[in-house]
Amino acid sequence: MRINGRNHLAWALSTTLSFSLAATVGIADDKSKDKDPADAVKTESPIKHVIILIGENRGTDHTFGVYKPRGKHEAISNLLAKGVVNEDGSPGPNFALAQQFSVTHQPLFYIGAPRNAKVAYDNRGQMPQPNTAGTPSAQSSSGPPFSPAALAGAAALDPNPDFNANTDTILTTGFSNLAANSLDTRIPNAGILPNGPFVLQGPNISDDDYTGDTTHRFFQAWQQSDCSVANATKANPSGCLNDLFPFVMATYNLDDSKVPAVQHNFSEGNSMGFYDAEQEEASLLKTLADRFSLSDNFHQSFQGGTGANHFMLGTGDAGFWSDGNGNPITPPANQIANPNPVAGTTNRYTADNNFSNCADFTQPGIAPIVSYLEALPYRPEPNCATAHYYMLDNTNPGFLPNGFRAPSPATQSMMPASPVRTIGDALNEKNVSWAYFGGAYNDAVALSNDAVTAGTAGLVNSSTALGEAALADPAHALGVAYCQICNPFQYATSIMGNPAQRAAHIKDTVDLLANIKSDTLPSVSFGKPDGLLDGHPQSSKIDLFEAYVQQVLDALEANPKLKAETAVFITWDEAGGYWDSGFIQPIDFFGDGPRVPLLTLSAYSTGGKVNHTYGDHVSLLKFIERNWKLKPLTDRSRDNLPNPKMRGDQPYVPANMPALSDLFDMFDFDHAVKQPFLQ
Amino acid sequence: MPVATRSTLSQRTIALCLTLGLASAGAFAKAAHAGEFSADIVSRDAAGSAIGAAAKLYVSNHKVRIETPEAAAGFLLIDADAGTAHFVRPAQQVFMDAKQSSLLTQIFVPVDVNDPCRRWQAAAGNAGVPNAGGEWRCERIDDEFVGDRRAALYHVASAQGASRRWIDSDLEFPVKLLAADGTTIALENIRIEAQPAGLFDIPPGFRKLDPRALIERIKHSDAWVDP
Repeated sequence: MRINGRNHLAWALSTTLSFSLAATVGIADDKSKDKDPADAVKTESPIKHVIILIGENRGTDHTFGVYKPRGKHEAISNLLAKGVVNEDGSPGPNFALAQQFSVTHQPLFYIGAPRNAKVAYDNRGQMPQPNTAGTPSAQSSSGPPFSPAALAGAAALDPNPDFNANTDTILTTGFSNLAANSLDTRIPNAGILPNGPFVLQGPNISDDDYTGDTTHRFFQAWQQSDCSVANATKANPSGCLNDLFPFVMATYNLDDSKVPAVQHNFSEGNSMGFYDAEQEEASLLKTLADRFSLSDNFHQSFQGGTGANHFMLGTGDAGFWSDGNGNPITPPANQIANPNPVAGTTNRYTADNNFSNCADFTQPGIAPIVSYLEALPYRPEPNCATAHYYMLDNTNPGFLPNGFRAPSPATQSMMPASPVRTIGDALNEKNVSWAYFGGAYNDAVALSNDAVTAGTAGLVNSSTALGEAALADPAHALGVAYCQICNPFQYATSIMGNPAQRAAHIKDTVDLLANIKSDTLPSVSFGKPDGLLDGHPQSSKIDLFEAYVQQVLDALEANPKLKAETAVFITWDEAGGYWDSGFIQPIDFFGDGPRVPLLTLSAYSTGGKVNHTYGDHVSLLKFIERNWKLKPLTDRSRDNLPNPKMRGDQPYVPANMPALSDLFDMFDFDHAVKQPFLQ
Repeated sequence: MPVATRSTLSQRTIALCLTLGLASAGAFAKAAHAGEFSADIVSRDAAGSAIGAAAKLYVSNHKVRIETPEAAAGFLLIDADAGTAHFVRPAQQVFMDAKQSSLLTQIFVPVDVNDPCRRWQAAAGNAGVPNAGGEWRCERIDDEFVGDRRAALYHVASAQGASRRWIDSDLEFPVKLLAADGTTIALENIRIEAQPAGLFDIPPGFRKLDPRALIERIKHSDAWVDP
């Protein structure tokens, strides 16, 4: 079976890429078993431990667009069910439901394109086509994917028969053999693909291949969603048509005022790619969905990218630029966004920056979104505080991984230390144990120490500083793969600015595995793989994230007592800019965004069920708060929203919008079923 | 606040040794070859208390292997004649240039008792240490015993700082370093014994990991944020 064929390599890979040098830290002896401190903490449910594993950049239709639920009488909203595609991934009878449009020049940024300005692409390849962008074009002896010659020598030394040059090894595979920023001809019919989604499957491409990334940023995502109340229907009351995905990618950084036009981004049509789970793609994830529970109405909480979505996951809110002492101030001009088009271009953004003051209608890009929210029947509050410039796109935290506080965030392009309250603060107050386990964190700390010594930590952006440190300290080079913006607690003064808090709660993947083994797993755990295993297109692959997941599940499988009282949530930070056909519930200025899968694994969530209750990342906070009896984090955080009242006639649209699930209805706590995670 | 700094030689070296796994006490062995021995590397503060646990050192002629928990996932290999220092991660079957990953690779290299600076400077240069090409001074002060072994004592000064270093006259190898703040790093439980040849070689088939290639790939992920 393909999954099993990957098992051993997956372990080797994750060890290669994630494990830090302190590999033995935290492993307790067997005497500690049956002394799990989390058992003593009162919980609402039988769940005593939650592990939240977060992958990168895969949407629901992108991953499970062709998937048939295994549970009896279960239904799912996806490309196959809607007839957009057939089971083999080819265009289905309702393919036109997914058709994409271009838009003629508009004078200002918009999120609902005027109908008379939209033109559908034809079915003869007019839609922007898939592009290799930055996909690795060849194997390398020095970086992934590695050359088979190097691996063949290694195989001779390894007793594991799966680890040899003749095996489909995810360590060596997936290069494109194509030039960067070119048409991705591995995809069948590339160049003449019709107007709609296309399957990433064929003789030359599968889920084991690196593929070109697609931009996923805040204003671009709102524009791609094409939301207007004028488009609203009973099944789609938000009126988001999701029909400008390739267009925005092809134009937001296109200077067509010049002849010939100059393209600065090569996302092109990549957003329309999807995998076919019924054809053995993403097979580990599919197996988990078959055996446990999947949500088909779970969403990224923030339009756009990684940093803001992880921040929302940790706080139920958005971060903002401050003086470092909790007071909002205006960031440098080069941080402020202006998505209005440059004169003479179709849609090239004037300043594709990261922060906006969304309480000010006069700021570029604000009015279209706020006006839309006000026009919705339930009139959601934008939730934009006066004079706050919110982080809309990726900005490194004001702390380095070792806790060093950037002295000049403005010049270092790092967000000043954040006062926003986190779930970690709330758990601390209730003496509930928790930790964030980041892949390659220990190496990142070592590189940070190097950067402090070298003086770069106080001068340049932390990514640059760690990159320079890695060149001088290769033994810790994997630290560059630790994702700083994925750790919401790294922004927080209360956690990262406190050495004791940092030591207690910010850890490495190796510690997660050790804690599982030794029965010292915190009540609440966040697990994030490093940048090579996180499944992000172009820098990682979906099967590499599966390898990360499997190593955690294998560890848990080896501790049955712990497994019995643990719920594992597997989700993604965002859909990565991939197109999705699902309903989006606008909650505030920041989101929601497209669907991402949520897999819920526990003894109480088995049977291949599909849950339709509306949720987003903040639902995970709500689960934690309900289970451990915590209050909402602040009076403005999204965890204040009620649970949705779902209706039978519109199973995906809450009757009481805005509303977010606390995920308790994904469990049946009256019936525990013991079964392996995988077979 | 920074967790640690590398502002002085002694601080950095102590940090290297903080989490070492304690090596077993050495047993005397019959001399097999003048250039082959093993030892524990022990760091002590000014009061003489051990800092962390010991690292392991193996030497065969001009090749050195160091196993230190700072690099617990692997080991360091130095080939003084070739002028190379590598870090090897066996589980991952990769190796990489050690560069400045460990100061031990710049200290515990075979040296000429009468001209030790040449090798130390070469090691620093190989590691890419800033100003390694600047002036190095090795002033022989005295001859002393370190434990029961005769050693030449040098005052060593470079852009990295000043220290006193003892070189075993028979082994032609540094056996002790005294930093300006009183901390020491010394070889203990020296065992003159034959060393397995394969101990000092990068296993065949291991691939070289280049941080530059890794960084370039990571730049395509969301783990990297361009300023």
